[in-house]
Amino acid sequence: MIKVQDLRKIFKVHRKKPGFAASVKSLIRRDWIDKVAVTGSTFEVNEGEIVGLIGANGAGKTTLVKMLSGIIHPTSGKAEVLGHVPWKREDAFRRQIALIMGQKAQLWWDLPGADCFELLREIYQIPPEQYRKTLDKLTEMLQIGEEMNIQLRRLSLGERMKMELIAALLHSPRVVYLDEPTIGLDITTQRAVRDFLLDYRQKNAPAMILTSHYMEDIERLCERIIIIREGEIVYDGSLDRVMREYAPYKQLRLNVHRDSANPLDAASLEMMGKVVECDPGSLCLRVDRDKVPEVAAELLRKYSVIDLSIEDPEIGDTIERIMAGKANEAL
Amino acid sequence: MSPSLFFHLVLVEAKKLMSYRVDFWITMVVALVVNLVILWALWEAIFAESGKELIGGWDLNGILAYGVMVFLTGRIVRGGDLQMTVATDIYDGALSRYLLYPRHYPFIKYAQQVGNILPDLFQSLMMGLVAIPLLGISTTADVTPMSLLMAIPSILVAHLLFFLMSLTPQYIAFWADNVWSLSVMLRFVTMLLGGAMLPLTLFPESIQVGLHWLPFSYLFEFPTLVALGKIDLITWFEGICYCLLWSLLIGLLSIPVWRRGDLRYTGVGI
Repeated sequence: MIKVQDLRKIFKVHRKKPGFAASVKSLIRRDWIDKVAVTGSTFEVNEGEIVGLIGANGAGKTTLVKMLSGIIHPTSGKAEVLGHVPWKREDAFRRQIALIMGQKAQLWWDLPGADCFELLREIYQIPPEQYRKTLDKLTEMLQIGEEMNIQLRRLSLGERMKMELIAALLHSPRVVYLDEPTIGLDITTQRAVRDFLLDYRQKNAPAMILTSHYMEDIERLCERIIIIREGEIVYDGSLDRVMREYAPYKQLRLNVHRDSANPLDAASLEMMGKVVECDPGSLCLRVDRDKVPEVAAELLRKYSVIDLSIEDPEIGDTIERIMAGKANEAL
Repeated sequence: MSPSLFFHLVLVEAKKLMSYRVDFWITMVVALVVNLVILWALWEAIFAESGKELIGGWDLNGILAYGVMVFLTGRIVRGGDLQMTVATDIYDGALSRYLLYPRHYPFIKYAQQVGNILPDLFQSLMMGLVAIPLLGISTTADVTPMSLLMAIPSILVAHLLFFLMSLTPQYIAFWADNVWSLSVMLRFVTMLLGGAMLPLTLFPESIQVGLHWLPFSYLFEFPTLVALGKIDLITWFEGICYCLLWSLLIGLLSIPVWRRGDLRYTGVGI
């Protein structure tokens, strides 16, 4: 559904030194620099797939989404979405896509949701019956009722985001871009939005690209992630694989009887893995994934264990390391 | 664009403007009172000082009628003074949402501009009902039902021309983020050369000849003269055709500017 090949975007950015003199100088002569936002991205997204686009601020996620939705033109490269070149903006293409931007309201603030949706029905030429059915379904899923007739600017952030979701999905798009859809929302609303998106995916199977800084969004919604660092894709694969490749260890946490004849000793434990914390009564040990059963058995055999737990490292920490370009550094 | 979408956009825009009731009434009352007082004081003084019965082919009541009528029609032609919306859309990235819709951006904007004139139309009608009876009888202007009827299409084509004339300069926001000064300049030039400040017959002869070949006079002076019964049927028809021709030319000019500018659009931020 989405095919991207060597897509690049370079912005020309005006650079100005601080101070009044520099401001005066910039009236006459300006310095421009090339800012590489996206460099040579290549990937594909299939029907029914939700792909998480992850990266630090300014990594190029939103630029990529803007190119794929046809808002901006790339500097070079190719992209095809539903068989169309996005930035040609053919009507047939625009009727089948939607973009939700968590940081930017796209509806008309001075109007109630009901009026906005009616207008969108006209813009997308949705047949009245289909419009009524889709609207009823979406409002029910998002539990929006009386808010439909209240001016948007008088609604809470969460309610407005629900309205944005309805607006974006009214025309049943086959490709949906979600740019930080849960930003600024409270935990309950975040959860409601995630549940809604999963439900929508199950019923309609659109291709979705999601950017978010919340790991919970990524973990709940995406089976596959693309990590971007300084405009470049540094990882494209499943969430499971990122853990196997970039965090090939687990953490064993152990509590033992403090009065045991055989107390915990960091030096002897280094043979089994990397000691993260160790005191006479507790231990945190980082062990290669394939050695976990063996090390756990050894610990149980050797010490008077009260409690043993085996944990995966935080996925967020792992991704953060990849984003920072430190994935291969010693853990 | 389908007619139903066009009317929907028009109504939505009108509803939006009328949702601010206080602003709606204050704009109307203040604008009317201020303009009537300035008009009367200014021309009363000019006629008294000059001692003439006619200036530029107008008597005092005639020129006051021109002032009131150009004020009322000008509000509709300018469409709620929203000629900066396109530049603002480009500047703050609101253009992005319109680019996602399967509709042409300028058409959506035009429908919105037409929506903007509905409150102005309503206000102008109400202000006209108050102001016109206050005008004295003039030998140089004659408002009749026929002249008012002929003024309606003249105002509509003038509105289209004004929209297109302000569209292309706003596209410059693709290159220079802030085009506020350009917009102010354009507004001043169109108002002055279009006859919104004073009738063009008061300009020197050579300038009047030059203005004849430019589109400005069709914006404000032409519909006003039509409403005041100073344009015969053939000249009226020619005027409408010239206005449409200028609209077409300026509309065509806007296409390459849009295409070049669109390549530079960033949607704000990276």
